[in-house]
Amino acid sequence: MTWTCEQTELRLTEYLDGLLSADEQHSFDVHVNSCERCSPVVRDVTHVVRNLHLLPELEAPPRLVYNILDRTLGPRETVTGWAAVLAFLRGIASPKFAYGSLSVAATFLMLITASGFNWKKPKLADLAPASIYRNTNRQVHLAYARGTKYVSDLRVVYEIQSRLRQDNELPTGNENTVPESSPKQPGTTDGAPPATPRQQNRANDSHSHLQVLAEELPFLSGKLDFVPSALLGVWASGKLSSK
Amino acid sequence: MEQDAQLVQQCLQGDGSAWEELVRRHSRRIYNICYRFTGNRTEAEDLSQDVFLRVYRTLGSYRSAHGGFATWMTSVTRNLLIDHYRRTKRDRVTDSLDDAMPVVETKESSGRRPDEQALLVELSSQVQAALTHLSPELREAVILRDLQQLEYSEIQAVLAVPEGTVKSRINRGRIELARILQQMGVRPS
Repeated sequence: MTWTCEQTELRLTEYLDGLLSADEQHSFDVHVNSCERCSPVVRDVTHVVRNLHLLPELEAPPRLVYNILDRTLGPRETVTGWAAVLAFLRGIASPKFAYGSLSVAATFLMLITASGFNWKKPKLADLAPASIYRNTNRQVHLAYARGTKYVSDLRVVYEIQSRLRQDNELPTGNENTVPESSPKQPGTTDGAPPATPRQQNRANDSHSHLQVLAEELPFLSGKLDFVPSALLGVWASGKLSSK
Repeated sequence: MEQDAQLVQQCLQGDGSAWEELVRRHSRRIYNICYRFTGNRTEAEDLSQDVFLRVYRTLGSYRSAHGGFATWMTSVTRNLLIDHYRRTKRDRVTDSLDDAMPVVETKESSGRRPDEQALLVELSSQVQAALTHLSPELREAVILRDLQQLEYSEIQAVLAVPEGTVKSRINRGRIELARILQQMGVRPS
C-alpha cells in the first residue's frame, strides 16, 4: 500500500488513537520513517498529545458551588431567634460532640483536683489564681517527695533481696539435690556420682580407708571363708564401745 | 449516568438537595472545560455559573434516552462558550496577565519531585497559552478529546457534526497546536 504525505496529515489522529488497521499502520510507519516532511510533524504532534494528557484537572474555586446554588436556588435562608437556637442544639446533639464535651469536662476536673481543690468543702477562695498556684505547687512537691521516697524504698528492698539470695545460694545449693525419699546412711552410697569435687574427695578418702581396712582385716572382704565367731564378737563389741 | 438521570428527575420534582448534588458532581469538570477554553480563571468561573444557570432553566428539556447527562451538559457548555467567544471577539485581549501566570495545581501534582512540578507548571502555562491561539472550533475539539478524554461519538453529540468532521478538527487542532508550540520555542523532549 502506497502512502502519501496528505494521507499522513489527514489520518494522523487515527494513527495516534490506534484506529488504523495493521496494513495502514505499517504503511504509515514506513512512509513517516522515510519522509523528511512528515517525520517532524508526527513527532511534534505526538509530543503535543502527550503534553495535553499530562495536564492535570484543576480544582474549581471553593465558592463556585455556593455561587451557583445562590444563583439557581436563591440565597439560603438565615435562621434567627429560637429557630437558630434549636438549629444550634440540633447541630451539637451528636455522639461526636458529646464525646468531645465529656473529654474536656474530664480534663477540667482532673486539673482542678490536681490543683488541690477540695470537693468535699468547696470554697470560692480555692479558685483564686493565687490559691490555685499555691495548691498546685504544694501538690507537685508532695508528688515529687512521694515519688522519691518510693524509689528509695524500692532500692532498699531490692538490695535486701539480693543479699538474701546470695546468702541462700552458696550453702544450700547442693544439699537440695538429694532426694528426700532415699536418705543416705552414713558411710553408704546410693551409686550416684558425687555432685561436687568436695564430695568426690570425701568419697575417695572413704574408698581408700575401706581398702586399708580390707587389707588389714581380710575376712571383711570375703577372702577367708572361716571367721572365728569369738573374734567377730570381740570386734563388734569394741566398735560399739568406741562409739 | 443512571444516578445523574435519577438526580435530574428529583430536581424536576423540586428537590433542592438533588440539584446541589448535581452541581457538586459536575462543577469541577465544567470549570476545567471553561478554563481550558478561555485561559482565564475569572472568566471560567463566571461561565461555569452561566452554564449551570442555563442547565437549571432547561433541565426539563433533557431526555436521558438521547444520551448521558454529562454529554448534554458538555453540549450546553460548548454552546455557551462559542456564544461567549463571538460576543467578546472584538474586545478580547489575547495576552492577559492571567494567561501568563501559571496556575498552581495542588491536588494531582502532589507527590511529584520539585523539578518535575516546576516543569509541569511551565508546560501547563505554555500549552494553555497555545490553546488560546487556536480557532474556537479546533480548540473545543482538542479540549474535548485530549483534556476531557471523550469518545468520538460523544464529541459528535456535543458538537452536533459528523464523525469525519470531528476527526478532521481534532487532527487539524493538534497539528496547529504543535506548530504554535514550536513557534513559542517548546521543543519535544
